[in-house]
Amino acid sequence: MSVWKYEKTHTIQKRLMALSGVFLCVVFVLLARLFFLQILQGEKFLLLAEKNRISLRLTPPERGRIYDRNGIVLAENKKTFQAVLVKEESPDFEKTLDLFARLVPLSDEEKERIIKEVKRKRAFMPVRVKDNLTPKEVVLIQLNAPDLQGIQIEEGLIRTYPQHEIETHTAGYVSLFLDSDTKDKDDPLLNLPGYRIGRSGVEKAKEEVLRGAPGSKKTEVNAAGRSVRLLEKNKSIPGQDLTLTVDNRLQKYALDLFEDNSGAAILMDVKTGELRTLVSAPSFDANLFLAPISTKDWNKLSSNKKNPMQNKALYGTYSPGSIFKLVVSLAGLENNIISANTTINCDGYTQLGEQRFHCWKRQGHGKLNLIQALEHSCDVYFYEVSQKIGAEKILEMAHKLGFGEVTGIDLENEKSGFVPSFEWKKKRFNDAWRMGDTLNLSIGQGFLTATPLQIVRAVAAIANGGYLVQPHVIEKKNYPQGLPLFNPKNLSVVRQGMFDVVNKEGATAYGSRFNINGMKMAGKTATTQVRRISAEERKKGLKDQKLIPWEHRDHALFAGFAPTNNPKYAVVVVVEHGIGGARSAAPIASKLLKKALELDIEDKEEK
Amino acid sequence: MGYFKDRNCYMKDYNLSFLDKIRNFNYLYLFLVSLVVFIGIGVLYSVGSSTSSPWQWASRQSMRFVLSLVILLLISLTNLRLWMKYAYWIYGMALLLLIGVEVLGRVHMGAQRWLNLGFFQLQPSEVMKIALVLALAKYFHGASLEQIRSVKFMIPPVLMMGIPVLLILKQPDLGTAMMLVFMSFGVFFLVGVQIWKFVVLALMGIGSFPIIWSLLHEYQKKRVLTFLNPESDPLGAGYHISQSKITLGSGGFWGKGFMQGTQTRLNFIPEKQTDFIFTVFAEEFGFLGSLILFGIYTLIIGYGFVISARCQNFFGKVLAAGLTINFALYLFINSGMVMGLMPVVGVPLPLMSYGGTAMITLFISFGLMECVDINREMVIGRLGSIDDE
Repeated sequence: MSVWKYEKTHTIQKRLMALSGVFLCVVFVLLARLFFLQILQGEKFLLLAEKNRISLRLTPPERGRIYDRNGIVLAENKKTFQAVLVKEESPDFEKTLDLFARLVPLSDEEKERIIKEVKRKRAFMPVRVKDNLTPKEVVLIQLNAPDLQGIQIEEGLIRTYPQHEIETHTAGYVSLFLDSDTKDKDDPLLNLPGYRIGRSGVEKAKEEVLRGAPGSKKTEVNAAGRSVRLLEKNKSIPGQDLTLTVDNRLQKYALDLFEDNSGAAILMDVKTGELRTLVSAPSFDANLFLAPISTKDWNKLSSNKKNPMQNKALYGTYSPGSIFKLVVSLAGLENNIISANTTINCDGYTQLGEQRFHCWKRQGHGKLNLIQALEHSCDVYFYEVSQKIGAEKILEMAHKLGFGEVTGIDLENEKSGFVPSFEWKKKRFNDAWRMGDTLNLSIGQGFLTATPLQIVRAVAAIANGGYLVQPHVIEKKNYPQGLPLFNPKNLSVVRQGMFDVVNKEGATAYGSRFNINGMKMAGKTATTQVRRISAEERKKGLKDQKLIPWEHRDHALFAGFAPTNNPKYAVVVVVEHGIGGARSAAPIASKLLKKALELDIEDKEEK
Repeated sequence: MGYFKDRNCYMKDYNLSFLDKIRNFNYLYLFLVSLVVFIGIGVLYSVGSSTSSPWQWASRQSMRFVLSLVILLLISLTNLRLWMKYAYWIYGMALLLLIGVEVLGRVHMGAQRWLNLGFFQLQPSEVMKIALVLALAKYFHGASLEQIRSVKFMIPPVLMMGIPVLLILKQPDLGTAMMLVFMSFGVFFLVGVQIWKFVVLALMGIGSFPIIWSLLHEYQKKRVLTFLNPESDPLGAGYHISQSKITLGSGGFWGKGFMQGTQTRLNFIPEKQTDFIFTVFAEEFGFLGSLILFGIYTLIIGYGFVISARCQNFFGKVLAAGLTINFALYLFINSGMVMGLMPVVGVPLPLMSYGGTAMITLFISFGLMECVDINREMVIGRLGSIDDE
C-alpha cells in the first residue's frame, strides 16, 4: 500500500474510534436529560399536562333566600335574562356592540369595560354585556338577532329585594364582586362574570351560609381552550335559606314613623333578644346596587347628610343622656348607697366649687325622691347622688349592663360605644378624673357613648328581671338564659320610675302613654346636646331649637318597654337632631310598641 | 512487484457482478433504518388519529418510504467510482440550486428554503448536505496527510463548506447551516487535521460571538434567549420549549400508551408531526420506549462508522463517515432541541418527522452508505481510476 494512503488510513481509523466515543457521550447526555425529565420530574410534568388538559367550569349555586319571621320574602332570586357577547361569532364585535347599545342603553363606562373584557378573554368565551334585561329588551334583541351576531341571551338568576328600602339594614344587599375586593380574591366562583356578594346586613354577615357550594363541569380542553368532551359534572348545592326574627310589618311601620327624620328604632324581645324591628332611617332601596349603581344615584346616596347607608342602630354612637340615669339609679341601689326614698331638694343647679351644674328645669324641681327624680328626669338629683355613689361604681354598672363593648349581634360593623375610665382620662387628657366628670356622667353626657342596640339591651335587662340577652336578627332555636345580675327589688324601683315617666300626669312622656287591654308602656326619655352650650348662649337664654341649623339641634332618645306588668318588648328610638326625647322619640317608640302588641293580639286571634 | 499485485487486486474488485452486490448488501443496516421509519409511521398515525383524517400523515409518509426505498436500492447498486467522478459536479449543481432559491425561491414561513418544481418542492439545502460530503470525500481522497496538515491545502474545503453555509444562513436556516459546519469539521477531524487547529478555531469562534449575534435575525435571537430562560415567557416564545418539556416529562417511565398522549392530541405541541414528533413518541411510550428508540438510532450511527472503518478506499471511508455524522447531527440537534438542551432551530428528527425532502435525501445517503459497503473492497486510485498512482 502506498504511503499517501497508509498514514491517512491509520489516522482515520483512530479518529473514527474517537468520534464514536464522543457520539456515545452525546447519546448518554441525551438519555440522562430524558431520565431527568421523564423519571425525576415526571410527576411534576404530568401534573402540568393535566392542568393543560382539564378545565374546571363552575356553575354558581342558588343563593339562599331570606324571610322575615312570618315567612314574608325579604330577599329572593328571580329569573333574569342577560345578554352576553361571544367574539368569535361576531364579524365585528364593536359594531355589534354599537347596534346593541341603540336597542338597550349602555353607558360609556360599561361599553369600555365590555370591549376591554372581550379583548382579554378568549374568542369563544362569553362576556357579560348587560344583565337583568326587561322582557321588552329581550324581545327587542331577539327581533334584531340577525343584526346582532355574537350577542346571545342567557338565562340566570339575580337577587331581588321585594321589600325595597324596608329591610336594607337587616337583610342587606349584594353587589358585583369587583377587582378591588381583596377577600377571597382568587375564589373562582366569585370571579364568575356577574357574581354578586353580600355587602351589608345578613347578606354580608351570613355570606358563607347563603352562598352554597358551586357545581362544576370538568371538561377536557384543547390548546385553544375549547371543550373537547365532558369529563365530570357536579351539581351545585344551593345556599341555606335564612329566617329572620324581624317582623316586616313592624319594620315598614317603624320606617314610616320616621317620616323625613333620620335615626334608628329597635324593638327587641326582652327575654330572647330577638329583634322584631331594626330600622335605620332614612333607608334606601336594596335593589340599587344590583346593577352597577349609576353615578347619579351614588352621589345622591353618599352626599345625603342624613346618611342613609349607615345602620345607625348598630353603627351610630350617641350620648345616652337621661336614659343613663337608670344606670346611675341601679348603681346606687345595688350598692345600698341610695334607696327609693332618698330625697334631694332641687334648686335648679348644683354648685361644685366655682362651677355651677344646671338642671334642665331652671327653676328647680323642689323635693324629690328617686322615683320622682326619674319621672321628672331631674338632673340635680343625679348630680347629688352620683357624688355619693362615685364614678367608679357607676362605670362598673355601665359595664355590667353591657355598655362599652359590642353586643355580639349577628350582623357586621357593630360599634362598641365607649365607657371612659380614670386611666383613660389620664392618658387622653393628662388629667385626673374630676367630680365634674362624674356629674356629667350621671346625666349621660360627656365621654360615655352607646349604640341604640346597647341601650335597648340594658333596658331589656331592667325589664326582664336582670339578665343580658344576646340580640340577634337570625332565628335561633336556643337562647342562653343569662343569670340575673341584680336584686329584683332594685329593678322594680327603677321600673316604677320608668312607669311614672309615661303614665303619671305631668311626667316627661305622659303624652305617649297608651293602654290596650291594660297593657301599658314604661320608659325614659333623653335629650342630648350635640353641641356644647356656651356660657354666652346660656346667658341669652336657650334659643328655640327650631331656629338653629338642623345639624346643631339636640338628639332625641327614648328607651322603654311594655307591657309594664309582664314586660315582653324593649324599645329604643333615636331621632337625630329631633330636639326633644319626649317630643319626637317617645311618640315613635310608643306607636311602635303599641303596634307590636296589637299585632300579637291579631296573630293570636287568627290562630 | 507490488505494483502489479495491487493492480490485480483492484482489477478483481472492479468487476462486482449484480449477484455479488446483492450478496454484499448490508441487510441489517437497512432493517434498522426501516424499523425507525415504521415506528415513525405509527407515531404519525397516532398524531393523525386526533384529527378528522387519521391517515393524513401516515399514508403519505408510507408512500414516500416506498419511493425512498426504491431510490436507496438503485443508488446502492451504482458504481462507487462514478460518485467520485461526479462529486464536484454534484456539489456545483447543489450550489446552483441554493443560489436558485435566492433568486426564484418562494417565501415560506418567513424563510426561503423551498424551490417549487411543480410536483415536488425541492429543498436545496438538503441536497447540499450530501453534495458537500461527496465533494469533501473526493477532495481528501487523493491528499496525503502532509498536505492535509498544511493550512493552504485546507482553504478550498473550507470554502466548499463556507459558501453554502453563508447562503443557507441567509435563507435563514440556522439549523441546516449549523449541521453543515459541524459535519465538515467532523470530516476535517477524521481526515487528520491537527486538533490544535480546532482549538484555535473554537477560541476564535467564541471571540467573534458578538459579531455573529449582531448578524442573527430578531426571531433567532429571541429563540436563543427564550431557550436560555423559557419560563420567562411561557405563553409567548417560550411556549414551544415549555410545552415540549411538559409533553416529554409527562410520559414518565411507561408512557401514556399508543394514541393516549393528551398533550399532543389536544394540540399543545405545535408542529407535532414534524420537528416535535419525538415528544409525541416519548409521551406515549415513556422513558422505556425512548431508550429503545435511542438504542436503534445508536446502532444505526455505530453501524455507519463500522461501514466507514471497514471500507478499503479513502473516498468511501470519508463518504460513509460524513453521512453518518450528518445523520447523528440530525438526531442530536432535534432531540436536544425538544428536550430543552438547545434552542429551537427547526431540524427534523431523521426518519420519523413528516416531510418529503428530508426522507428522500436521507434515503439517498443510506443508498450511498450501502453502495460504500457493497464496494468496501474496491480500491480507488489517487485520481479515481484504476492506475493513476
